[in-house]
Amino acid sequence: MADTLVLGLGNEIIADDGAGIFAARALTERLAGKADVVESALCGMALLDLFLGYRHAIIIDAVQTLRCPPGTIHALTPGDLDAVQAPSPHYAGLPEMLALAKQLNLDFPQEINILALEVVDPYTIGGALSEPVKEALPELVRRVEELVGQWEDSGPVDGNELEKLPAGLSM
Amino acid sequence: MSSKVTVDPITRLEGHGKIDIFLNNDGNVERAYFQVPELRGFEKFAEGRPAEEMPQITSRICGVCPTAHHMAATKALDDLYHVDPPASAKKIRELVYSTFFVEDHALHFFFLGGPDFIVGPTAPKAERNILGVLGKVGLEIGKEVIGLRKQLRGLIALAGGKVIHPVLGLPGGVARTLSKEDQQQFIAGADHAVEFALFSLKIFNDVVLKNADYMKWIVSDTYTHQTYYMGMVDANNKVNFYDGQIRVVTPDGKEYRKFRAQDYLTHVAEHVEPWSYIKFCYLKEVGWKDFAEGPESGVFSVAPLARLNASDGMATPRAQEAYEGFFKALGGKPVHHTLANHWARLIELLYAAERMQQLANDPEIINPVVRTLPTETPTEGIGVVEAPRGTLFHHFNTDARGVITTANLIVATQNNAARIAMSVDKAAKGVIKSGKVDDGILNMVEMAFRAYDPCHGCATHALPGQMPLRVRIFDAQRQLVQEIKRDG
Repeated sequence: MADTLVLGLGNEIIADDGAGIFAARALTERLAGKADVVESALCGMALLDLFLGYRHAIIIDAVQTLRCPPGTIHALTPGDLDAVQAPSPHYAGLPEMLALAKQLNLDFPQEINILALEVVDPYTIGGALSEPVKEALPELVRRVEELVGQWEDSGPVDGNELEKLPAGLSM
Repeated sequence: MSSKVTVDPITRLEGHGKIDIFLNNDGNVERAYFQVPELRGFEKFAEGRPAEEMPQITSRICGVCPTAHHMAATKALDDLYHVDPPASAKKIRELVYSTFFVEDHALHFFFLGGPDFIVGPTAPKAERNILGVLGKVGLEIGKEVIGLRKQLRGLIALAGGKVIHPVLGLPGGVARTLSKEDQQQFIAGADHAVEFALFSLKIFNDVVLKNADYMKWIVSDTYTHQTYYMGMVDANNKVNFYDGQIRVVTPDGKEYRKFRAQDYLTHVAEHVEPWSYIKFCYLKEVGWKDFAEGPESGVFSVAPLARLNASDGMATPRAQEAYEGFFKALGGKPVHHTLANHWARLIELLYAAERMQQLANDPEIINPVVRTLPTETPTEGIGVVEAPRGTLFHHFNTDARGVITTANLIVATQNNAARIAMSVDKAAKGVIKSGKVDDGILNMVEMAFRAYDPCHGCATHALPGQMPLRVRIFDAQRQLVQEIKRDG
């Protein structure tokens, strides 16, 4: 198990929603030995298991804000998202998941970055990736590699820092 | 209330909604509309593909209940190829399916629906989440839920290969056998699940049933509809998630119809409204009489409460006890209170866990013969299961090579759509007075649909930067006067 998780979210058979998945596939070999690249179509709290045990995580996903051109990459951290409150309990999201992990003292990444690609059509089953999304994928892949590279360069963690890590879940 | 737009890419959707509320001159609600976007193109996507891909493909259209789609499609393939799987294969399928049910119902109760009742419908917004739930019931419970789900997901992966996109079902059987060691793991998981389910019911009993305020909301007219109910039952009319006949009961609880999945088109039809993408299912022989209650209206409901109403009991002993307690406490059958879905879900959680225990201990589960090879020419196949969110139909027609010519899915939330729309409308009318809408009031409206655990898009897809839920309030002149975005 690597220290870094790269998590591609989305659904490859639903048009642009597959962006995160295709980016993850492109990264699997490139990041071999540096990060674990995982794909998921799940949502909300169901993702929690995937983060356990990693020090860093990068989430790649599709978004549709309609406030910037398709193909734009939004670089976010959990701090950019509103705190604890999920929009409704049904849509439990990342901020809530992080708050829960902290509260339960789970072994969770200390640093999470989100790269979200602005997409055109995240709704059509069987739809192909749109042109702007296709064109933006190499840049998305490059940005992920860059982030992983930065963590690698920061060198090994010293012992004192390790002691501060929360205890893992015994299951 | 905020109009800030937040991008939360991790808030994966289980379908997001929009509620438009129209007020009259007094500021009271004239009508509230609950709208949802819908994924497009499944039927077209399926056409021209081999039917055998359907269990994998349909499981990919939903990131919430992939196992339900996988199982419905697998059963449709049995029907398509006219093949009856051996008993061992049916039991393995049902064992995996029960495991999935435990996992899904447990998640819903504690993480998604629990905040409404364990924390309370009128609690401050900041507390109505899983942390608020754990604040009430103890942090250890959080670890317990996470630990149990991890164990159960491990079991599903053990039998099915992948949790997210299972590869278990084949026409006529399953793809792999279970070893004695696998069986032991399932037994351990089942024992854990039963213990957890009993504990969850105890929490519900202590925190909700003993709280007069909560009970008042559960039985209030605001959250009550007298409709037909649909659910799958076994030969003894007991609830069954994996196999059986579809039973429908009238608003006064009498059996109205009992039919095989293959006959669903005789009994279920779809109504289209100009304001919604969702097709509203109704009972064809009763007819569509608008969004109305009572025996003259074809509106029906599915999901936990409906399943309990449509059956004569549960097939396992402890769940049966809980079933009897449920109807006794709520005034007999049928129960029409939408919010009672939360309680019904926990009774089903216990049934799923007990059923898992029965099947895991069944010697046939490790029988090495797990498939009957199909030999007949495929034509038409219809499969049904009870998904956690209600009855789920898959229907495929193919050519003689087994290539799909037409496909139709009726998902649980579509079966429930008319009653959900009515629930949102009625709740809005019940809690919005003189034009006053704030976060607490909005939550009371949301509770009306959350109890059904709707999954409208039946897929996970990118989150529009706006909101999972946008509420717009219009005055009597149809002018937009207020907009609330639930944006975290």
